[in-house]
Amino acid sequence: MTRRTFPLWTALGAVLVVALVIGSGVLSSSPPTAAQRAYAIESVVRCPSCEDLSVAVSSAPTALTVRATVRQLIAEGRTDRQVEDYLVARYGSSIVLDPPASGWSLVVWLLPLFGGAAALVVLGVVLVRRRGAVATDAPGPADLGAASPDPVVLEERRRFLTQSLADADAEYLAGDLSDQDYLALRQRDMVRLAALDAGAAGVPAPTDPSAGEVGAQAASDSTADATDPDRGRAPSEGNRSPDGSRTGAPASSTPGRPTRGHRSWWFLGGAVAAFGAALIVAVTLFASHRLPGQTSTGSISLSQGQQVEQTLNQAATLENQGQLGQAAQLYQSVLNSHPDNEVALAQLGWLEYQTGRQGASASLIGDARAKLNRAVQLDPGDYAVRLYLGTVLLQQDGDAAGAVDQFRQFLADNPPATAVQQAAGELRAAYQKAGLQVPPQVGRG
Amino acid sequence: MTAGAALGTGAATRHTARWVAIGVLVVAAGLIAVLATRPPASVTEVQSPLVGKPAPPVRGVTLTGAGYELPREPGIYVVVNFFASWCEPCQQEGPELVRFQYEHSRSGDASMVGVVFDDTVGAARVYQSTLGASWPTLADTGGALALSFGVRAPPSTFVIAPDGRVVAYIVAPVTAADLDRIIAEAEASHA
Repeated sequence: MTRRTFPLWTALGAVLVVALVIGSGVLSSSPPTAAQRAYAIESVVRCPSCEDLSVAVSSAPTALTVRATVRQLIAEGRTDRQVEDYLVARYGSSIVLDPPASGWSLVVWLLPLFGGAAALVVLGVVLVRRRGAVATDAPGPADLGAASPDPVVLEERRRFLTQSLADADAEYLAGDLSDQDYLALRQRDMVRLAALDAGAAGVPAPTDPSAGEVGAQAASDSTADATDPDRGRAPSEGNRSPDGSRTGAPASSTPGRPTRGHRSWWFLGGAVAAFGAALIVAVTLFASHRLPGQTSTGSISLSQGQQVEQTLNQAATLENQGQLGQAAQLYQSVLNSHPDNEVALAQLGWLEYQTGRQGASASLIGDARAKLNRAVQLDPGDYAVRLYLGTVLLQQDGDAAGAVDQFRQFLADNPPATAVQQAAGELRAAYQKAGLQVPPQVGRG
Repeated sequence: MTAGAALGTGAATRHTARWVAIGVLVVAAGLIAVLATRPPASVTEVQSPLVGKPAPPVRGVTLTGAGYELPREPGIYVVVNFFASWCEPCQQEGPELVRFQYEHSRSGDASMVGVVFDDTVGAARVYQSTLGASWPTLADTGGALALSFGVRAPPSTFVIAPDGRVVAYIVAPVTAADLDRIIAEAEASHA
């Protein structure tokens, strides 16, 4: 970090801190409602019968059961912690999506902390070392002649330059430096060493042009650029030419006083800070309604109506594929949350009727009838329920007249031709048994 | 490196990469050792927080509409089997459960209780009668019983000891021999 970039870093740091504070939700003041608490718990509890889905987003029957249990426990006055413990005591700790902070799973929590701490330590050590190196590196020949320096300081500078030369040698041998950079570095350090020796002996600095430049630059940078970790180490970087001389900004710029370049950095820093502040205000205004447990990035979730529609479609697909058991479960799951869903009532009623007929179960057929009757009450204009009810009346009760009554309404509701074709057998049987003429759209078979 | 060392440059710092590599290798070796010594995930008896603890209450309405409640201390071993008619592994273990029930109904030292998991009453009833299962089977509409036992998928089988403790939890198709072995082990550890 240099003095020039300091405002920028400060502004970015401020933005980061404020964003973290807002994101953590510690500022939200109103206590969460029971529904919000339930949702927060549901979004961290794994659906028991799914892979890595929370019960909040899963429509599996087990997830619905967990959801109902969470809401019931909250209504009983249990704390969030107690609700989680209740589930963990039954399913084990893996029911919670976050791994537990104990046993081997503790590693998952601690590793990032240790990694972060180690990274900070390494960063700190590197910065301190480089700052130390720059501070020693800073004085050039320009200030060496000004006053008689402390011999200890001189010795330290000499040792640093010798070390720098040796490092360059090693890096060159290791293939880390190009021929050109190595020569440039070596020449610079040799010149500095010579200047140091000359200064110590009270002799004016050598008049080597590049040495003078380097010295002046070092002097100016010693205040303005005191912490630049790479100064002098990478000659081809920045605005420095390979021979170590400065090619861009004039070496005579006065240290300490803000130059035009510095001012523009301040402006940039201010602009970033203003943008950050505006961003924070916008985020606070528009993101304050986040529920506890909701991710800050948001998530794709369907509305309740869409979820029901999706489940019904899935159930219909399964039913068409002959997987009646699974279809029935899905219809049941819809009825658990929406007891008056007419489509689910009609379809589950029909499935139960078929199963009951197959297993000769009077109670199941009774259940089926109740569902079909409720469905027809809810939507008298649904041709499918009329067809189902008519079929039940004909097959189960032998009530041809009642069946025909239902079938008439079935035909009046403009059913698709395929549905009429599929039901043609039952329709004809009912009409014939009741002694009535078979409607023309049913066909003669 | 020798040249660097000969020049007296920070040879210690040049070993950083080596130490980091050694550290990473040690961590990786440790991880492999831990993973390799863990029990495989396919064992039939799995860890459950319930094992060793009193079983949750087993009560509800059976498929025939009757009320049922297992005593807190049943006095005999009770096998509680969560199943569904659509679940193939359940169909696989079904005859074994019938055999187990048949063998132990004579001696009277163990019995079976079925619990429907994620299935309709009708389908479960048809499945049970096809199988020839005569033990009480709870409908568990709404899945409350499955939740109290922490069941994630069928088939899941719990063995409850005469004193009401859960002694085993199996999440794969069981055989009559498996159940006999589990009961024998529980008896041995209890004695």
